[in-house]
Amino acid sequence: MEKSIENIWREGFVESDALVAPKINNLYNQKSIHIIDKFKRMFKINLIAIVVFSFAFLFISFFVGIPITGIIFFVTLSALVVINKKLLNDLEKIDIGISSYQYLKAFNQWINKQISINKRFSKFLYPIIFMSLVLGFWFKDAEGEPLGERLVSKILTGFPETYLVFGIPAIGIVIALIIIGLLALFGGQIYKWDLKLVYGRIFKKLGELMTDIESLRS
Amino acid sequence: MSSDFYKSSILPFAGIIIKLCRAYTNSQEDFEDYYQEVCLQIWRSKDNFREESQWSTWIYRISLNVCLTLLKKKKNNVQHFVSDSITAEETENNYAFPNESLNLLYDAIRKLSEIDRAVIMLYLEEKSQKEIAEIIGTNPNNIGVRVRRIKIRLKKILDGKIN
Repeated sequence: MEKSIENIWREGFVESDALVAPKINNLYNQKSIHIIDKFKRMFKINLIAIVVFSFAFLFISFFVGIPITGIIFFVTLSALVVINKKLLNDLEKIDIGISSYQYLKAFNQWINKQISINKRFSKFLYPIIFMSLVLGFWFKDAEGEPLGERLVSKILTGFPETYLVFGIPAIGIVIALIIIGLLALFGGQIYKWDLKLVYGRIFKKLGELMTDIESLRS
Repeated sequence: MSSDFYKSSILPFAGIIIKLCRAYTNSQEDFEDYYQEVCLQIWRSKDNFREESQWSTWIYRISLNVCLTLLKKKKNNVQHFVSDSITAEETENNYAFPNESLNLLYDAIRKLSEIDRAVIMLYLEEKSQKEIAEIIGTNPNNIGVRVRRIKIRLKKILDGKIN
């Protein structure tokens, strides 16, 4: 060999067509598939976590004496999982073979549908969870007597003038109704905060990608 | 990634990405896959860039890591799915540079170990020993000796003394 490897290297790349970057048309497809796959994975894990939690909580609730809370939690969360599983099935139906722009558009539509359904569900979910906790502790056995009734007896001993509605202090009912009202009012917002916390980064990347592809199309 | 990101932050360094990907692939198809994967990883990891090193050093590091990962995956696939009679290291005829000496040099580089390939590529790109060590994650003192050994081996391969 006559030339040094340094010279071969230097001279080899002097020719203009030695370093032609390949087209990266497929890059957007890869990126969109990557983002959506990541979302699907997280969504599935989330659903599995809810199922595991609802079973575990049901089990624990019987042990700690608040089965009503456990049962209501279980039923409500199961409904949430069923609804979201159906949504996930719709997501799986999006054809991966379409262009990245169409794929992302379809995914975006699915996200909006999913957010809208879960937002509506959250208006009921949080008040139901609150009520299940109240009922669970109200009927919890406290030395042969429901905890709620015991609490009312104590209140009546201290404040005999307390106004009762169906054996429950009216002030307690008012406070519970205010909390339920606030949870129903802000349920959708709480869901959006939750969503942002879990999927915020993915949505940001998705938004960037959509803007990017749209700028290329215009 | 904005479309500008590719043009402003990746394309100016496309040369080294191409050179590195070429050293770890034997066909145009693989090369394009590797190149795209490197670009994808740079875009994916751009938020992790802390400016502790130069952007170019960071690109070298990502390119190298992606190439090594893909090569490892490919090797595993070859072991699992391809019969022993087919050699994975054969370079396709249509996968060549216009310069014949450069093709011979690349063929020789492909015969080196994965890390030696990276070391010699970075050396040929006139990176300092410190930079090479930083990219590969090794001691700068060892790089000089390693480069000398690799060059001797390359010379032997090019002279046809070893296969």
